[in-house]
Amino acid sequence: MNDNQNAIEIVDLWKRFGKTSAVGDLSMRVEPGRVVGFLGPNGAGKTTTIKMLVGLLRADTGSVSVLGLDPFVDGLAVRQRTGYVPEKHALPRWMRVSDAISFCRTFYPTWDDKLCDDLVRLFALDLGKKVRVLSKGTQVKLSLLLALAHRPELLVLDEPMAGLDPLVREELVDGILQTVGNHPRTILFSSHTFADVQRLADEVAIIHEGRLLTQCSVEQLLTRTKRLRAVLADGATPDAAPEGTIWQRRNRREWLMTVREFSQDTLERVRNQNRLENIEVIDLSLEDIFKDFIRGQRSTPCT
Amino acid sequence: MAVNPDSHIPLYEQIVDHVCGLIAAGVYRSGEAVPSVRALAMELHVNPNTIQRAYQELERNGFVHTRKGLGVFVAVGGIGSAIRQTETTIFNRFVDGIDLGRKTKLGPARIETVFRRAMRAGKRSPGSGAKETRK
Repeated sequence: MNDNQNAIEIVDLWKRFGKTSAVGDLSMRVEPGRVVGFLGPNGAGKTTTIKMLVGLLRADTGSVSVLGLDPFVDGLAVRQRTGYVPEKHALPRWMRVSDAISFCRTFYPTWDDKLCDDLVRLFALDLGKKVRVLSKGTQVKLSLLLALAHRPELLVLDEPMAGLDPLVREELVDGILQTVGNHPRTILFSSHTFADVQRLADEVAIIHEGRLLTQCSVEQLLTRTKRLRAVLADGATPDAAPEGTIWQRRNRREWLMTVREFSQDTLERVRNQNRLENIEVIDLSLEDIFKDFIRGQRSTPCT
Repeated sequence: MAVNPDSHIPLYEQIVDHVCGLIAAGVYRSGEAVPSVRALAMELHVNPNTIQRAYQELERNGFVHTRKGLGVFVAVGGIGSAIRQTETTIFNRFVDGIDLGRKTKLGPARIETVFRRAMRAGKRSPGSGAKETRK
């Protein structure tokens, strides 16, 4: 892989199931070495997109390139260089943990026995146990181990933390960090757990109804997305929401708006263009910002 | 917990404050090594890129310096800078408090009275035990 090639490149991607578009006109790219949190409400098209990335589904139109290859055409090559943890774990239930490991090991020329042993220890996996008796958390740990131990260039995780307790989630985060620490590795992971997203992600991509709403560094999103809370002067109506408003709501004299790329200029413009009693700037958490992006798509503007 | 991943403050900024606090408190002195990027990533359960970003910021502001292949060390004068940085953090929290008072239309005299009360309480019993309960 040459240095400036994107690890993932999706262009004008469409995927329909019957009359429903799961992914509609999605374009996004992931640079090598970046850890990207893939966010979106349920049904936004995250799993469908991920399945196209690992070659399990074929795109209707548009293109998907993973590590410079078409995952549907060069499936084996892509899978050997990619670690994938699906939303629904598909490990054979009758296998022992040790069998599952030796079974997967044979597929990957780059399998690292030492890393595998380290992860068995970190995750406290019992090699003799059958997959079917493992707890949900332990099954995810095994799934993650199998995705990490061949030192893939790209790791794709579909809601790996869903439904797990905070201790297990921390162990999984540690497992991922332990392997990314040595070699910078590209990761795309979908999640609804914003604390985990903040811990792991360099940037987030937010999708809604199969389209990309934004892709931006977590730091920039947190420092530049603000909520403005204005109190309108008597009889005044909100005239102009500033450029970059992603969501707004008016309730009697209170006018709330969430603005991306906020600066002091934004504040001055809102002050100058509307008759206001006062206005304040509120910091937002990643979860608040996510919700406002989605709510803004669902509601109609109030002006 | 040293960092809060649910906060509106970016993690790298929280990590800068965390390391600064440790230097200001004298946990790490001038010339001593601070934890490696990898070690701190594992300790705080945070992406090493974020730690790297925080260390770059600390280096840019003269708190630490990196010696290739050896690690990251507290810079000469790092403690003084860390104390000034901590002062800035305290200053900003005071400003937040004053803003809150002004928003609720408390006059400057009353805000100052509250401030003096907090100073007295903090001296009497240091730590968050000095905090008043909401009425």
